[in-house]
Amino acid sequence: MNTAEVDRLSVGELGNETVVHLPSGLLGFEQIKKYVLVSDPAEEPFKWLQVPGDSSLAFLVISPFQAVPDYTPEIPDEDVRSIGLEDPQDALVLNIVTLRKNGRSTLNLKGPIVINRFSMIGKQVVIANAAEYSVQHPLPPGE
Amino acid sequence: MLILSRKPGETLVIDGKIRVKVIRVEGDVVKLGIEAPPEVSIHRQEVYDEIQKNNKEAITAPQRDLPRLPGSPKEKDKQSQHQKEKLTATV
Repeated sequence: MNTAEVDRLSVGELGNETVVHLPSGLLGFEQIKKYVLVSDPAEEPFKWLQVPGDSSLAFLVISPFQAVPDYTPEIPDEDVRSIGLEDPQDALVLNIVTLRKNGRSTLNLKGPIVINRFSMIGKQVVIANAAEYSVQHPLPPGE
Repeated sequence: MLILSRKPGETLVIDGKIRVKVIRVEGDVVKLGIEAPPEVSIHRQEVYDEIQKNNKEAITAPQRDLPRLPGSPKEKDKQSQHQKEKLTATV
């Protein structure tokens, strides 16, 4: 991680920051190619994907498998190739959470962000089995 | 919108680096082949619009008040509290 390039974001001492490169950007945000993935142990399993240089803009993300244990996204081959993934184990899958009113939140299961955990290069992918899943999958309520 | 006609086998070149070829027409279905640099993503419009809209709804300023998921926060709160206590004890 080139610390000279990354803007220092105020996260707190517990935060762990990694730069993520999305050469295609997120859908609708194609011009933003670089994000900082912030992991605060107190917030696990949630993480923040923050826009460098604008600490008021971020996406709440989560690895989907705890909330949706039977989620089986089919990642198209071209997308696997574009991020240099050789093994599914090398993939970090993060789905975007939308915080909504009344404590209800939803998860986008059609368009996960798939990241090569070694290069930290990723892509927001439209899964081949998108028709099976919702863009607004309700997060199960906790205690 | 620029409107052009192409026959099967004919191609369009966009911005010098994207090529769209009409492969075949079967009834009312047009099969298209697209060549583009890897950073150019290509999606069917309906799902693109749906995800783009969801991304725009999702973007937010970071906040502390996060949803609780089954099987997480309370245990983790105890763990990180325990770790904090351990650190202060060694100092």
